[in-house]
Amino acid sequence: MATLTVPALRTRTPAVLRNRAVGKLLLLALVTAVLLPLLHGRAWPHHLTVSLTQPLTDASNWIIDNRDTHPLFLYFFGYISNAVVLSVHAVYVTLLALGWPGVTALGALVAWRVAGPRLAAGTAAAFLACGALGMWEATMQTLALMVAAVLASVLVGLVLGLAGGLSARLDRALRPVLDTMQVLPAFAYLLPVVLVFGIGVPAAVLATVVYAAPPMARLTALGLRGADPEVLEAVESLGATRRQRLLTARIPLARKELLLGLNQTIMMALSMAVIASVIGAGGLGDRVYQALSTVDVGQALAAGIPIVLLAVVLDRVTGAAGADGAKAPRTIGWLYALAVTAAAALAARLLGALDWPVGWNVEIAAPVNRAVAWMTSHLYSGVPVVGGTADWAAHFTTWVLDPVRDGLQWLPWWSLLLIVAALAWVIGTWRTALTAVLAMAAIGVLGVWEPSLDTLSQVLAAVAVTLVLGFAVGIAAARSDRVERALRPVLDVFQTMPQFVYLIPVVALFGVGRAPAVAAAVVYALPAVVRITTQGLRQVDPAALESARSLGATGRQQLWQVQIPLARRALLLAVNQGVVLVLAVVIIGGLVGGGALGYNVAYGLAQGDLATGLVAGAAIVCLGLMLDRVTQPTERRPGKGA
Amino acid sequence: MSTTTVPTRKPPTAQGDEPVFSVSGLWKVFGPKPERVPADPELGALDAAELRTRTGCTAAVRDVSFDVRKGEVFVVMGLSGSGKSTLVRCLTRLIEPTAGTIAIDGEDVRAMDKSRLRELRRHRAAMVFQHFGLLPHRTVLDNVAYGLEIQGVGKAERRERAAEIVAKVGLEGMENRRPGQLSGGQRQRVGLARALAVDPEVLLFDEPFSALDPLIRRDMQDEVARLHQEEGRTMVFITHDLSEALKLGDRIALMRDGQVVQLGTPEEIVGSPADDYVREFVRDVPREQVLTARTAMRPAAPADETGSGPAVSPDATVAEAIEAVARAGEPARVMDEGKCLGVVGHEQLLGVVAGVDSTSATASGPTAGPIPKDTATEPREHARAEKPATSTPEAV
Repeated sequence: MATLTVPALRTRTPAVLRNRAVGKLLLLALVTAVLLPLLHGRAWPHHLTVSLTQPLTDASNWIIDNRDTHPLFLYFFGYISNAVVLSVHAVYVTLLALGWPGVTALGALVAWRVAGPRLAAGTAAAFLACGALGMWEATMQTLALMVAAVLASVLVGLVLGLAGGLSARLDRALRPVLDTMQVLPAFAYLLPVVLVFGIGVPAAVLATVVYAAPPMARLTALGLRGADPEVLEAVESLGATRRQRLLTARIPLARKELLLGLNQTIMMALSMAVIASVIGAGGLGDRVYQALSTVDVGQALAAGIPIVLLAVVLDRVTGAAGADGAKAPRTIGWLYALAVTAAAALAARLLGALDWPVGWNVEIAAPVNRAVAWMTSHLYSGVPVVGGTADWAAHFTTWVLDPVRDGLQWLPWWSLLLIVAALAWVIGTWRTALTAVLAMAAIGVLGVWEPSLDTLSQVLAAVAVTLVLGFAVGIAAARSDRVERALRPVLDVFQTMPQFVYLIPVVALFGVGRAPAVAAAVVYALPAVVRITTQGLRQVDPAALESARSLGATGRQQLWQVQIPLARRALLLAVNQGVVLVLAVVIIGGLVGGGALGYNVAYGLAQGDLATGLVAGAAIVCLGLMLDRVTQPTERRPGKGA
Repeated sequence: MSTTTVPTRKPPTAQGDEPVFSVSGLWKVFGPKPERVPADPELGALDAAELRTRTGCTAAVRDVSFDVRKGEVFVVMGLSGSGKSTLVRCLTRLIEPTAGTIAIDGEDVRAMDKSRLRELRRHRAAMVFQHFGLLPHRTVLDNVAYGLEIQGVGKAERRERAAEIVAKVGLEGMENRRPGQLSGGQRQRVGLARALAVDPEVLLFDEPFSALDPLIRRDMQDEVARLHQEEGRTMVFITHDLSEALKLGDRIALMRDGQVVQLGTPEEIVGSPADDYVREFVRDVPREQVLTARTAMRPAAPADETGSGPAVSPDATVAEAIEAVARAGEPARVMDEGKCLGVVGHEQLLGVVAGVDSTSATASGPTAGPIPKDTATEPREHARAEKPATSTPEAV
């Protein structure tokens, strides 16, 4: 009987699938036809918008007026704010007291303890480079802010993760929220905290915590839930109490996830600590921000390099801590590390060498700026045959960005909603489609339809370029070990860099405008897309590939008929990730002339016009939600309530 | 599931009468509102598919009753999905039963509160799992000592005791390895040692050797048999492997679809299957290695008492009797404490090997002659079915 039904099923399934997709589209078309008489106009209709400017301005004003008197601020936010300022300051003072020799020694020894001598040398070199670039104090400011933010994030993440890991109901409630928080651009988190805390260090730290805690929470919950059920059953069969089970089995079993969570939290905290310079974080990000606003590429690079070094070192060291499983402690002890640090700090103090010696600075801003000036005059335009970078940017803007934006804005608003619904429904489920449509409609209701479409056009263009390049490189890397080996270190470094620093080279190359924002987004999203594509293609069942080869399939046939169809899920995930990452950078691109929503946020912050910024921030959230849901394959998060 | 070699039956262990575990009318139903299924005789009588369509429930264990006697190895055997693993988990309420009673040494397990139940799990019943369930971040020694740690035993003492057990299961020198560095067989020795370390009254085994290679599986079976002979600990052993069940079990409960279809000694299961399912199950078992001379013999005639011929024990297997008869060239006397119970000759022994029943002949009356012709010449296809079942399933 089984032998009879199997072939029948196999022939029927594609037809059913086709029918289902067609059915969904037909249903949508029917709904539209019914509603058509009600729908008119191209731009979002005025009577459907709700202006939030007045209430938001009122709220903002009320907060500013009452910040020093209202009990809510005096006894709640005030304490939080003070605690943050105090702890950041304490860390900063400690770092300064250690002096540059102490900090370098501490960093190197910690790296040695966790990851071995090679990374220790790398860490020391990175710290020294930060000093040499004249960024010692800025680096310490960023580090101090990060230490406070990471500690808070880990604490919050652990508590939420424990709750989610131990209670299925809390997990169901938390997971969609945390998942969504991870796809939202960092920029969207800035304004709400500024509204409450004003511009300054507390707002920066809290925005960082909000941004960096979700991965810790998610991975903690994942680790606790993913524990081998038979081990837990064995533990229970021996009569362990809940506490014993948690402490002796579940938490140790989740060690890997916990350390991965720590790694991700640190990386996200760094990324956000840099971006938060826009709301007064100070430190390295602030130097980049200031330099970029005057298009001083040399200065931006001098601050950007320490950020990259910090990112790479932090990632490698925490990553090594997670990878190192059963290895016995083979390096120096903690006490030894502390003693050496104290000795170095003391020696520096006695020698009066706590501050970085100015004479050791390497001035790179001027030469870099000269190089950029040369590039501006020689490479920007008029290069024979290939044109110049500025020409490319202009052409890209004229021939790609403008038509896409105009096309989107020309389309009637309801047809855009329809397209969103159709895409999301065909790729995902009716729930994702509903969320996507509601998010898109919310953008219209917020009254920022036009700038949102501008941002969307940049996202679409960047995603298209990213996917073409990413799939091509990914396929190449999947088919050739040599290409993959060559790419791996590049991807490793690119994936650890904070979004903000990608703006520096593109400004040098393309000047300011929408095209550089798109270029930065492409560069930022490319590594993830390449990696997911390569992994997806390589993980294709070797038996299927072998059977294709044994039938005499050519390399091309194997790729198109076996690898790509079987890697469909990974490719969809690559699209999803690409979209999310591109959006994050396109928004930040508002700082370098990307315009649209990102500019609104930056403008709102700079001018104290929080209402404009908050509305734009809300629109960014909606756009992020919409783009994520539209590209979300059905199977990715099963049982999840959109 | 064909079994080619069934090793010699071990001598039955001394069995007390008082049950350690006493289970009666036990139900475990998964699904929405499970309690209504055991409560309603009509629902309880439905088969699995009907029950699922009617109620959305699955009955993993259906109205099972048995006693585990002190010192015996009680085997629960069945194919996958027969409910045997669920059953053993119900004994210590790792899975909460839906209905029925479970008593350990007369104490109601289902009525226990949390702390009492923990006490039961800590001291009275320890379990060995199919996939070992070891803690990967701990050394062998700390894994073995884990149960003692849970009980709050001090570090020095528990390590000392764990080291003894580690030696007992043959893992000396591996105390400081981690489970990831051990082979499957070694890991299961750790699992066994962990259960033994708490010195439990009953050992529960859930398909402990199914994940192991055949040769290692045999080693581990011998190990368990040895431990049982040395310590006489009560064991409940879950398996889907008939030869393992026959080798280790003093009594076997054969499960199908959540019900016990037959409960009896290995000899009873093989010699007189309760229904066609059991018969199909034991078809390939070499009967001469399971059935004993006591079953095969014809009752002794007065002449036999003083007759010649080798003496065999009533608990000797037919295979052993065959050897004795073949060596001596004449029928063997089944002797128990100097008394002749009966005689086994070629006919009886061949009848067992051929799967032909010879007891009907003996039931018809002892014949003086050494050759009861009427039985040997009449091979009947299903003679076994006519034999009165020596054991009815205690719970169906």
